[in-house]
Amino acid sequence: MSDLSHIRNFSIIAHIDHGKSTLADRFIQLCGGLSAREMSEQVLDSMDLEKERGITIKAQSVSLNYQAKDGRHYLLNMIDTPGHVDFAYEVSRSLAACEGALLVVDASQGVEAQSVANCYTALEQGLEVVPVLNKIDLPQAEPARVIHEIEEIIGIAAQDAISVSAKTGQGVDQLLEILVKRIPAPSGEINTSLQALIIDSWFDNYLGVVSLVRVVNGELKARQKITVMSIGRHYVVDKVGIFTPKKKATESLKAGEVGYVIAGIKEIDGAPVGDTITTTDRPADKSLPGFKSIKPQVFAGLFPIDSEQYEALRDALAKLRLNDAALFYEPETSQALGFGFRCGFLGMLHMEIIQERLEREYNLNLISTAPTVVFELVTSKGETIQIDNPAKMPDPGFYTEIREPVIIAHILVPHDYVGNIISLCMEKRGVQKKLQYLGSQVSISYELPLNEVVMDFYDRLKSVSRGYASLDYEFARFQASDLVKLDILINGDKVDALSCIIHRSVSQTRGRELVEKMKELIPQQMFEVAIQAAIGAKVISRTNVKALRKNVTAKCYGGDITRKRKLLDKQKEGKRRMKQVGKVEIPQDAFLAVLNVGKDPK
Amino acid sequence: MTLMTTTATINTTTLLAPPLALYVHFPWCARKCPYCDFNSHELKNTLPERDYIGALVRELDQHLPLIWGRPIRSIFMGGGTPSLFSAAALDQLFGQLRARLTILPSAEITLEANPGTFEQQRFGEYRALGINRLSIGIQSFDPAQLQQLGRIHDHHQAIHAVATARQAGFDNFNLDLMYGLPGQDPNAALADITQAIDLDPPHISHYQLSIEPNTAFAHRPPRLPADVTVSEIETACRTQLQQAGYTHYEISAFARPGRQCAHNLNYWQFGDYLGLGAGAHSKLTQAAQQQISRQWNVKHPREYQQLAGTAQATAGQQTLSWSDCVLEFMMNNLRLHDGFSPTLFTERTGLPLQLLQAQLQQAQSRGLLCVDADRIYPTARGRNFLNDLLTIFT
Repeated sequence: MSDLSHIRNFSIIAHIDHGKSTLADRFIQLCGGLSAREMSEQVLDSMDLEKERGITIKAQSVSLNYQAKDGRHYLLNMIDTPGHVDFAYEVSRSLAACEGALLVVDASQGVEAQSVANCYTALEQGLEVVPVLNKIDLPQAEPARVIHEIEEIIGIAAQDAISVSAKTGQGVDQLLEILVKRIPAPSGEINTSLQALIIDSWFDNYLGVVSLVRVVNGELKARQKITVMSIGRHYVVDKVGIFTPKKKATESLKAGEVGYVIAGIKEIDGAPVGDTITTTDRPADKSLPGFKSIKPQVFAGLFPIDSEQYEALRDALAKLRLNDAALFYEPETSQALGFGFRCGFLGMLHMEIIQERLEREYNLNLISTAPTVVFELVTSKGETIQIDNPAKMPDPGFYTEIREPVIIAHILVPHDYVGNIISLCMEKRGVQKKLQYLGSQVSISYELPLNEVVMDFYDRLKSVSRGYASLDYEFARFQASDLVKLDILINGDKVDALSCIIHRSVSQTRGRELVEKMKELIPQQMFEVAIQAAIGAKVISRTNVKALRKNVTAKCYGGDITRKRKLLDKQKEGKRRMKQVGKVEIPQDAFLAVLNVGKDPK
Repeated sequence: MTLMTTTATINTTTLLAPPLALYVHFPWCARKCPYCDFNSHELKNTLPERDYIGALVRELDQHLPLIWGRPIRSIFMGGGTPSLFSAAALDQLFGQLRARLTILPSAEITLEANPGTFEQQRFGEYRALGINRLSIGIQSFDPAQLQQLGRIHDHHQAIHAVATARQAGFDNFNLDLMYGLPGQDPNAALADITQAIDLDPPHISHYQLSIEPNTAFAHRPPRLPADVTVSEIETACRTQLQQAGYTHYEISAFARPGRQCAHNLNYWQFGDYLGLGAGAHSKLTQAAQQQISRQWNVKHPREYQQLAGTAQATAGQQTLSWSDCVLEFMMNNLRLHDGFSPTLFTERTGLPLQLLQAQLQQAQSRGLLCVDADRIYPTARGRNFLNDLLTIFT
């Protein structure tokens, strides 16, 4: 074993807004990673989207030089982790590169469900977890209560938790001291075959694939010939280096270290996340364990508004998929929306983020269908098939049973809102599994159909608890349920992109609401538009949008034609944003109407 | 539309200088009507007749080279309220116009006039100085509606104005009427039309009231009749006009045989026009350069008066691209019931009609357009959905 005692690899586990990024910035500043001028707020969140939303989506790393009080120099590799339920998988990837984690809890707000889940992941992976109370400078900080919560809810000793204020810098230097004392150094052998775990990969238009790796054994150097083990492809390393957080080339990355590698990989699938890199001339005999594969839970169709962007969309999805193993996509053809992709996501936030990234980073104009979960059907022949698209649901005669995914949701919420949460869960067909009072919070567990959760559960949860409730969930099982497919017909044509699978008990109401919503959204056209909701051949609700009688300007101002032109351009622009279904023009919002009905009136 | 990409291969030598009309804008009114969004300003002091006429002449001198040698086929004095100007002032203007322009003897020369008593006294003098057509802004014969619309004349004056016009020697005139007025039902609208027909004008313009941005009505919207009612009003009024011998030849225009408005027809047939006055727009073909351009003046009367004759009086200028030409040609010509001939299209735009094959086909298949060998014209449905028809050509 080589001496790696000067290295510490760690992550920070924290709920959104509990101050993780601020603390990371403080570390960078104390260790001189960036000059004051370069310290823009929250340097770690590098995607625009992350900065705007104040959340971390993708793993990032920073290598810092820290001189401890005893005079020893340490190399601290901080690997950032996302803090939202949808990205639990990314968290486990980041944690796989670490020996320890800081659990950062807001000293006034207390423990949140998400941190609990991530903390368990860290403990399961054998990491040393160091509790930290942040925002200790706030007058409403209650360190004693929060320490009690950490012990009660997570079950780790927290009496010696360190109190800091990332904002003022109070206690951050002590925290670094404790960090190097409590978090173990990595173990590994430098003088042996190379084994480097790919934690993350992304595509750079100039450099090709850039991978973030944790070297477990051996040494990774520039000009080395390497093999990506599972796919057996060979490349020559151009550059290796670390993030300080600026990208800084180094001679090599040795066992225990974390950094980037660029090897002129031009194909998007050239360096899959979780794979192992070894040297070609002295390969390791086996690859590292890697990550468990993950299944998307929420599906939706993504279609380019302009059909000419189809290829660009395919290309963009391939690039995003490179460092987002959870993103699934396959071509889909919709009668209403044309050519696009059926995409699978970890959850609603994941879906939103992917859609926003596609629109912003790749300049695509997209239309998405309402998200749905995967259903299981038992066919009359006894086979089990999966349905990820309501449009593909066969006729009732074809199957004997439909099953829907059920999750177990863990909710942490202050006492005052328990009643609201329980009624919300009941409305969503939930079954209570646990209710436990812990300090000032209540831990509630419910089994809920995932289908109900993807609709609007998270928003509702936040609104009935004034933002205080936090949620974590995991898949439990598929469960038989009385589900029906609800179709929307426009002028007699079934609009495949508007079909949804819902519980029979809500189908009448949902059908009526949906038809009304569509009536609001579909503008008057040159002919009458009939809107119907149907289950199978049975129409359960109908309405119509009256025909426009005319669309003509009475007076064309002889001389000044410019104003009239502006009007026409506006009308044209409006039409461009519509999708043509048969002869009817349907605005994009209508395809998400399924999602918006049944919400609290605003 | 793929027009822009094919420009290079278009033979453009066929763009001819079309007939030329003159428009003169008079930007003042005694009172601003709540529905009006034209460039008109309430007159607060005395009318600066001499200064404004002077400005118009300076502008004409400046722009004369743009229309050198081309005869004027029609003149339209619009506003605002041009009849606020005395016959003496207009006579002075006409003297200057005749000194600089060839105005054809057959030219239609129209003045917009209010049916107020004060204006009626001037009708004779207007006729004497060479104005041969009046466009009288009646709007309605219903006293309550006139008040609602902020008009300063009453229904007696409206009826009387027609008799005065005839006595003054105007055998050619138009009555402006509006429908779809607040609270109006088909019977009320029909009563207006019947009254107008009784007065036997050669031309009737029948406009639907629309609420335009930045008007008093836009700030405090009146309750307009429902779409169904408006539709009933249209059917009833149009039938009545038809039976009385008026041909519906443009969206809002009805005329006795041979009495179509030559000046407006020139707009609708995508002819050229020079616009003089505050905020006036010009559209001129430069046959030598094979291009069509538009320009427009500063809007405010005071600013216009100060700047007229200098380059600063022009607020904007635009050379039309080929796709602009197509759209603007269609915007105008498809307002006409008879549409246009393929020859006219080529003469006025310099483009072969084959360029539009796909669009014409689409318009036809949607039931909005008829394409005959010698005529292209909107169907009844196409007239009702003209904006949808036009978006095919955008």
